[in-house]
Amino acid sequence: MSFPYEILQITILSLQISAIATGISLLIGLPLGTLLALGKFWGRSFFLSVVNTGMGLPPVVVGLFVAMMLWRSGPFGDMNLIYTPTAIIIAQTVISAPVVIGLTAAALQSLDPRLRLQLYGLGASRWQMIWALWREARLPLLAALMAGFGSVISEVGASMMVGGNIRNQTRVLTTAIVLETSKGNFEIAMALGALLLTITFLVNWALTWVQQRGED
Amino acid sequence: MNKDLITIKNLLIIRGKKEVLRVKKLSVQRGEVLAVVGPNGAGKSTLLLTLARLLEPNAGQMLFNGTPAQNTSDTVYRRKIALVMQDPLLFDLSVYKNVALGLEFRGASKSEIQEKVPLWLKRLGVADLAERRAKRLSGGEAQRVSLARALVLEPELLLLDESFSALDPPTRATLLDDLKPLLKNSKTTTLFVTHDLHEARKLATRMAVIVKNSLRQIGYADEIFNAPVDEDVAHFLGKD
Amino acid sequence: MKKTLITLLLLSLAISACASAAPSNPNIILATTTSTQDSGLLDFLVPIFEEQSGYTVQTIAVGTGAALKMAEEGNADVLLVHAPPAEQELMDAGFGLDRFLVMHNDFVLVGPADDPAAIGSLPSAGEALTSISSAQAEFVSRGDDSGTHKKERAIWSSVDLTPAWDGYIESGQGMGATLIIASEKQAYTMTDRATYLANQDNLDLEILLEGDEVLLNVYHVMTVEPDNWENINYEGALDFANFIISDETQALIKEFGVDKYGQPLFFPDADKTDADLGVE
Repeated sequence: MSFPYEILQITILSLQISAIATGISLLIGLPLGTLLALGKFWGRSFFLSVVNTGMGLPPVVVGLFVAMMLWRSGPFGDMNLIYTPTAIIIAQTVISAPVVIGLTAAALQSLDPRLRLQLYGLGASRWQMIWALWREARLPLLAALMAGFGSVISEVGASMMVGGNIRNQTRVLTTAIVLETSKGNFEIAMALGALLLTITFLVNWALTWVQQRGED
Repeated sequence: MNKDLITIKNLLIIRGKKEVLRVKKLSVQRGEVLAVVGPNGAGKSTLLLTLARLLEPNAGQMLFNGTPAQNTSDTVYRRKIALVMQDPLLFDLSVYKNVALGLEFRGASKSEIQEKVPLWLKRLGVADLAERRAKRLSGGEAQRVSLARALVLEPELLLLDESFSALDPPTRATLLDDLKPLLKNSKTTTLFVTHDLHEARKLATRMAVIVKNSLRQIGYADEIFNAPVDEDVAHFLGKD
Repeated sequence: MKKTLITLLLLSLAISACASAAPSNPNIILATTTSTQDSGLLDFLVPIFEEQSGYTVQTIAVGTGAALKMAEEGNADVLLVHAPPAEQELMDAGFGLDRFLVMHNDFVLVGPADDPAAIGSLPSAGEALTSISSAQAEFVSRGDDSGTHKKERAIWSSVDLTPAWDGYIESGQGMGATLIIASEKQAYTMTDRATYLANQDNLDLEILLEGDEVLLNVYHVMTVEPDNWENINYEGALDFANFIISDETQALIKEFGVDKYGQPLFFPDADKTDADLGVE
């Protein structure tokens, strides 16, 4: 491993992949979590249970599943996505979306149900009502976002399986740590681990700062 | 112009298999404060939620300004009214932003908001709390903010659902004293649900009595006290 | 119920303790490479050793680099690895005490059946890699400092080439995962025969070059120098080493895999010397 260029490149790739996966999870998770929390439809509690189970999906299982989809022998093999950053993004989205959906639903369900009536009673349209509830639940919603990011930046099993840990292409911090450990380069592995922790901390710190702004 | 802002005919609301409210006829006159009284669980709040179109009646007709309410969409209808519930239900924002909420929903301009919000905060005696976080208010302050949030909308119909019952008696008395001239001067048509007859007489001119899931009697307070229409009403008024 | 369980537990402990002359320290840490583990050879041999000796073997299958590091830092008692030059360095540095030749298997070059770099007809591994390089064909390297990776690098340097074209990628993973990547990308790779045979059903790759002497993959067993660290189980390590080079075990190694693949995966060499196998 060459310093510092390669480490920088791996770090940037890790951040990009996890940020995009978290972003997609948010785009999926906010509406679906809201629907599950506020909607009235048949099977709602069943879907909530499915999502809550999904929050604990083992990354390697997700990795295996996504890999089987993307392998040349799989249904989406023609898209040539296996061992690309896109493949990692797909797998990580599968991992973090249930986290964001589940925590979004929990955040909204923890609000006083009468707030909805109150908002309608003040003339809110459906979208204004949802927007106001999101704003009211902004602290737990940011926590959902942090949990989603945390579940993917630190994940190794799926990234290894669908990304392939290919140097200069799909090697991310976690897979690089596994590799350096297997090489016996424990010092480098530890340094990469410290880097990963620092990055996770900085991202969470930034989000917590946004979250706690105006709190006293 | 029609004297009645709201007219309800043959309203029926069923929950599950139970009939929770039956109203043969009810009119709310423009500019009046009408108290809806009755024991707990009689169906008073159901009437209020129906008037706010937060509850779909199973049968009946509701006229608003002489036209059937169904002719307008829920949101358009609700923007003519304002609702204040038993708990203030303020949002985790500043007092100012809470009071501006309904105006924002209606797409009011910034200048309109800047003009009206301080005015109503002042009228309800909470102007100095404008920048405070709503969750740092006392119960009485919070309910005043909640009332300001509704009155700033200058609603055609103000719905109050036991809005003072959670307050301690002195706080409640002062708030009622302050609110009465406000409603009178602004000629706000108000429907006011309470189980407290004293409160009803203090704020309202006419009363509607709901007992055992049906509207039994409507009229001026003295009329009702002097001539309860049936035993249930008499019992509720304490005149057995 | 609980009582019965405890009684049973104590009974079984007592029995296992009686089964053989209990070693003073019954736990051995064996550091080995993924190839011996993945082929199933250790799952076959270790229980036999445990049965005979009363030791419990904790097998840690890692890359050769990590295995050697474990010896250096006293985290293993005995090694079964296949990187002779690196092993020799470790011996020279005083981290190992005994070292015996155990067996060999061989590396093969595999790739897509259409063989775009036409290596199938070439006589040596060096020429095959040269041809892959000049065709700029896709090649997946382990890139993990493993014995296999070291062997691959040795062949590159023997033909004075530094692989660095877009199609040359490093997986940084074990042999099984690297084979899958090569199969998916329809790329060439170098693999030990055992792992290839074990994964053959899932792979769309063929053996294109084999038999070159340079492709021999030689395994040694090595005990960790006990003087360097306090808690090295040298006695157990030596027992394991002696077991692995015993005539009975060597015979078992020769038969291993024949029933499943129709050919042996490993060739016993305990009666040979490094020179016989062309190892410096």
